[in-house]
Amino acid sequence: MIKKIDIETLTQEKLAKTIDHSLLSPLITDSDLKQGCELADKYHTATVCVKPYHVKFACQLLANSEVKVSAVIGFPHGGHLSKIKALEAEQAILDGAKELDMVLNIGALKSKSFDFVRDDIKGVVDVAKRYGQILVKVILENCYLTDEEKVIACRLSEEAGADYVKTSTGFAPGGATVHDVELMYETVGPRLGVKAAGGVRSIEVALNMIKAGATRIGATRTEKIIKEWVGLKKQKQDEKFILPGER
Amino acid sequence: MIKDVWESIRRENLTLEKLAKTIDHSLVGPLVTDEQVREGCEIGKRYLTNSVFVKPYHVPLAVKLLRGTGVKVGTVVGFPHGCSTPQTKAFEARQAVEMGAEELDVVSNFAATLAGDYDLLREDIGAVVEASKGVIVKIILENCYLTREQKIKVCQIAEEMGADFVKTSTGFGTGGASVEDVRLMRETVSPKVGVKAAGGIRSLEKALEILEAGANRIGATATIKILESFKEYSGK
Repeated sequence: MIKKIDIETLTQEKLAKTIDHSLLSPLITDSDLKQGCELADKYHTATVCVKPYHVKFACQLLANSEVKVSAVIGFPHGGHLSKIKALEAEQAILDGAKELDMVLNIGALKSKSFDFVRDDIKGVVDVAKRYGQILVKVILENCYLTDEEKVIACRLSEEAGADYVKTSTGFAPGGATVHDVELMYETVGPRLGVKAAGGVRSIEVALNMIKAGATRIGATRTEKIIKEWVGLKKQKQDEKFILPGER
Repeated sequence: MIKDVWESIRRENLTLEKLAKTIDHSLVGPLVTDEQVREGCEIGKRYLTNSVFVKPYHVPLAVKLLRGTGVKVGTVVGFPHGCSTPQTKAFEARQAVEMGAEELDVVSNFAATLAGDYDLLREDIGAVVEASKGVIVKIILENCYLTREQKIKVCQIAEEMGADFVKTSTGFGTGGASVEDVRLMRETVSPKVGVKAAGGIRSLEKALEILEAGANRIGATATIKILESFKEYSGK
């Protein structure tokens, strides 16, 4: 059960623990990765989400941190062979990843090959289960899908045993929307978690996603989001302070 | 423009058949469905392109559809970001070869290039070449992200590691093939290494320009358009 987060009781720590700090751009170098891991450690995010060949290095950098490492699988087009996704997943786990963000096979979903899509996900889930305590998030890439396809993809992810459904890779023409997060939450929440990624660059957007049912946020602008949260909190306190009746 | 095209066709001594054999018909977009692979293979067969390029999971379907036609099946490895581990890329390549792919377009780890980590790049390219014996391996540079020096370096490493072609772009980066890049790559690698240009080649004019700059192969989705305009020009 991955329950909705109550905005009223949200703290900076809780907010940070919803964030997967994303370091997935194909242009991210080793030194960018190092900086990104330091930032994630500073704010205690849930994970850093990294490219497969960076998993080992990220795990070394975060060896003494509570921040986990999440690896992307079949990223970002999802058109790999199922076998390769499973192999890539296993390699990432052996390299130290505790979470996997896999892209489902978008072309197969569009072709209505639903068994293929489910088996493709299950191949990765099976590897994750074999190693235990490994979360699997399935990226739908919503911008390419109809609402009906999004619902089917959520159901297939659940049937395959995944832990999360995720809106987007962040490398397609569209990212997370409130509508999509609500739809995904209605379909599989709270049995599965919903991760909103792609275009979540401010605290306003992040909070809207959380209200809609997201329990995990994929973000590159992590520091900005957390600083904005701190600002919001302070503003709220100040407002309270000057309320006439409260003096 | 028409005059230029004519001159170019004559200079290259091009025929429709020859031009078609420079083309890898590309079907590697994330949204390409089974139906579109069927249609694309028909196009490959009709024009006798060099190959039809599909996503890895579509290789068995394309191999079945193109058996005995003389049109090869190609697929991509580590596509399009090139950031899988060398082991995963090698395994992906081997699987593709076993399923019947005869050409592999492999995305180099261009983040390693940007970081100046050429040891990793060598390992990355070497592992795939090693795993793909007997088929043609093309190394994609993704030029839009690289400096001139980096492009030269990747070309040199690709040749050193035994690749058959260097290729400009995935078609999914911020830029595609340019005449300048094709020239640079052609000058950098020896004649036994081919140059493939891909990304944004959507007209006969552009295709001819790129071929004249030294490309041996073109990756295209607008195959029909390119070849039909050739027919028009050559009055076939």
